[in-house]
Amino acid sequence: MDYILDGLRQAMVLLFAGDPETFSAVWTTLVVTIEAMVATLILGTPAGFLLGYTTFPGKRFVRLLVETFLSFPTVVIGLIVYAFISRRGPLGEFGLLFTVPGMAVGLTILGLPIVIALTAQAVENLDRRLRPTLLTLGARPRQVFQTTLAEARFGMLLACTAAFGRIVSEIGISMMLGGNIKWDTRTITTAIALETGKGEFATGIALGIVLMVIAFLVNLVAAALRRRSGE
Amino acid sequence: MSALYELRDVIQRYEDRVILNLPHLDVPAGTILGLAGPNGGGKSTLMRLFAFLETPVSGEVRFDGRPSLGREIELRKIVTYFPQEPYLLKRSVRANVGYGLTIRHLPNVNERVNAALEQVGLDPAKFVGRSWMQLSGGEVKRVALAARLALRPRVLLLDEPTANLDRSSAELVRQAVFTARERHGTTLVISGHDHPWLKAICDDIIWLRDGMLSEPVKGIGDTWEPLAPQTKGTAAS
Repeated sequence: MDYILDGLRQAMVLLFAGDPETFSAVWTTLVVTIEAMVATLILGTPAGFLLGYTTFPGKRFVRLLVETFLSFPTVVIGLIVYAFISRRGPLGEFGLLFTVPGMAVGLTILGLPIVIALTAQAVENLDRRLRPTLLTLGARPRQVFQTTLAEARFGMLLACTAAFGRIVSEIGISMMLGGNIKWDTRTITTAIALETGKGEFATGIALGIVLMVIAFLVNLVAAALRRRSGE
Repeated sequence: MSALYELRDVIQRYEDRVILNLPHLDVPAGTILGLAGPNGGGKSTLMRLFAFLETPVSGEVRFDGRPSLGREIELRKIVTYFPQEPYLLKRSVRANVGYGLTIRHLPNVNERVNAALEQVGLDPAKFVGRSWMQLSGGEVKRVALAARLALRPRVLLLDEPTANLDRSSAELVRQAVFTARERHGTTLVISGHDHPWLKAICDDIIWLRDGMLSEPVKGIGDTWEPLAPQTKGTAAS
């Protein structure tokens, strides 16, 4: 028990003294998460909205496919992306393996199904009275589309927070595609795994505290959005 | 009075079930027409046809002397519908009441929003800034009605507007209806089960049962005797 308390004490010292190695991992985590989130939102939000808003042949199959990807094992995502971006892979010339952008590619693939599925769900779960209300208030099809988008905003933000929470705390993809390189591709999660393996609990606990604070803030935002959306 | 709506051989069917069968129905401009009849009689379906939310499977709905088919978007700018259970956007009262005005790019939105709120008995100073979440059931209905009144439509369709409203609110709706007609020449179609209220407010009442025009045999709403489908109905003629 003492070594845990001692680790906690040392973790506080590391955090408050601004230990460079610890904060390098925090910084890398934030950078890779932001890169992956930007790509996820640019690709996933429109796709999810259209999936929920429109009807087309094969829609149910696409929904099923997206939901299957929700439970795709992260190591398999890591493996597939590794195969593509390794030197022998079709995207090898871009030199993405063991880089932050390379990790972001894998994390984007992880986040996309979350954003697409939850955004589509947010749109589909909108009140059935919305469309006739807008039509009878004189809205044109483009205005119906825009207002529907605005009405789904809380649900869509909830999808973003869910994807953020998943991406920021991911380890398998980051480890495989980033290589856990100190000062470069080492993230909070990969650093915790490494430091714990070495018996360096203090760094692990310090990084764990940062990750938990981030997770708490994300959940706080999600809870507020859920309340606002009346769910 | 010239007919604003002319329905000819209109049949509306959901799957195999005939919901509405109206060989002939005219609604004169400027009238206040009541729709009465039991639940499932076709009142709401007729309202949706009047609102150009649906097109009949056969027959024709003419508006202002011309077929409505293909003009629905344009006609919904001048015909508005207040449903039984109105929906408010997840926005403020001001944004809800002003929505139709804003998308039409009309001037003086704030003034018209305030006037419409006053018409339904809500103090603008107290209500415009309120969120949709901060309203009671009765207030939601009144805000939704204000959103329709603010448009000063040519036709206002009210589907059971007094359901779940107290007596004073029902009186406010009655006054708002008369004001809309007097000030803007609005034609009104009002459906409801509150037959004395309908009788007091409407120029004429048509009765629907099993999707057909019908007439009460005894007192209003007592018993029903559907007329033959070929019966010609002309409201307020």
